[in-house]
This record gives sequence, structure tokens and C-alpha cells, in this order.
Amino acid sequence: MKVQITSIPVQDQERALRFYTETLGFVKKVDVPLSQHGRWLTVVSKEEQTGIEILLEPAPNHFEPAKIYQKALFDAGIPYTQFSSDHVQQDYERLIKLGVEFSVKPTEMGTVKIAVFNDTCGNNIQIVEML
Amino acid sequence: MTHYYRQVSKLVNDCYPNKGQLDTIIGTRHYINNHLNKELKLDFLSKVRFISKFHLLRLFKKYYGQTPKQYIIDKRIEQAKLLLQGGKTVTDTCFEVGFDTPSSFSTLFKSRVGLTPNEFRKRAIFTKSDCLAFKNFAVLNVKPK
Repeated sequence: MKVQITSIPVQDQERALRFYTETLGFVKKVDVPLSQHGRWLTVVSKEEQTGIEILLEPAPNHFEPAKIYQKALFDAGIPYTQFSSDHVQQDYERLIKLGVEFSVKPTEMGTVKIAVFNDTCGNNIQIVEML
Repeated sequence: MTHYYRQVSKLVNDCYPNKGQLDTIIGTRHYINNHLNKELKLDFLSKVRFISKFHLLRLFKKYYGQTPKQYIIDKRIEQAKLLLQGGKTVTDTCFEVGFDTPSSFSTLFKSRVGLTPNEFRKRAIFTKSDCLAFKNFAVLNVKPK
């Protein structure tokens, strides 16, 4: 078995696509309409376009427990997932200029530096740089 | 302040109180990253940071969750993938990332990546030329407005 896809629950797929591509810099990989209200929509890292895909799945809109879980994590400030960064401080400054809100500013935590931002689709996302 | 941030602050205080140890281990990792093509034995790394090799081994595992040897292999494989994707030969790649022989490199690469370096290189080159052909096709078939 191989890890090919991981998913992030999003409240609005179109807005999520804009945020993950235009703001974060990911690239759209697969976009298949599945129903009137949902698409199989994945993005990949620009530097690794054959790498792991992130499925932007509209679970919170169709499954109440997913919505409750997502909100509980968000309210506690807990990241839904994390991405690696070569330079957290630089990414923080770039994203702040684009209007992204951070709940944790760049913070050293032992051998890593982390920061946490709001993805505007119901999730906190952590970026991590190995020191 | 969020619940998560409070937990992070607590972990920083509980798990990483020794700044000296952290500096040593982070310095070792940077040294490894900058000298991947050199021979990187534990004996040598411990001398670079003025620390006993057993202590270095314990600390590296404690802070990075891997032994230095595991970390070095992962970094070398990661670097080798980039070089092969860029079109370097298997032999050149092998020595450039610090492996001793092409055969040991190939065996290790296959066990980690699932393809031999040669297969990986061919596939990367094929994908690249495929993309290029597709782009050329798209450019040639765009009708002016």
C-alpha cells in the first residue's frame, strides 16, 4: 500500500481551491464533478506535483459529526494537519501580507519551528520547519 | 490564547529545557546536511561537536526521533531523487550523495523508493518529456482570439 492522498474537510470547495492555490501556492491536480454539491478535488505541492495529493473534501456540509469535529478542533486552535516549510518565518511574512490570520506566530519548539494559520475553510493548519 | 498554543508552550518548557543539548543536536543536523557527500561516521560527527558518540546517538534519537545513520540515509535518498530527476547518471548520483558503491546505492534506493535508481531516472525523464510534448501540443493548438 502507498500513501497517495490525504484529505482536509472544507466548508466551501471553491473557496478552498482559491485559498490553497492562490494564497498557499498549491497546484490543482484533479477536479472531477461527483454530484450537484461536490467534486473530487485535489491539490498538490508546486515543488512535488507527483507527490501526495490533498483532497479538499466537503464532508462538513454533508455529515454532521464531521462538522462538529472540525469546529471543535478549530475552536481549540488545534491544527487539522500540517505542511512542511523550508522557512516558517518567510512563509509567515508572505502569508500575513496576503491577509492570512495566524493563531500561533512563528515559535521554536525544540528542533522545529511552527506557526498556525486559519485556512478560511474551517481549519487551522500548521507549518513546520525542521531546525 | 488558544488551547493548542497553551499546550505548545507547556511542551516547550517540559521537553526542551536544555538549550545546550538542542544547539549541539541542531548543529549536528546542519553539519550532516552540508556534508552529505562526505563520509559521515558517528565517531567523526561526535568529534565535530565535542561530544561522546554514544551521547550524540542518544540525543539525536531523542530530539529527531531517528538515529544519525537513519537520518543520513533518508537525506541521501532524498537528494539522490532530485539529482536523478535532473538527469544525472546513477553512478554520478551515487558518489555525489556519499554512497560507497553503485550496487549498495541501488539496493538501498530500491528498498526505500520501490524502483531502482535507473528505473526512477527513466520514469522521471519520461514524465518530463511527456509534459513538454503536451505543452508544445497545447501551444501549437491554441487558436488566436
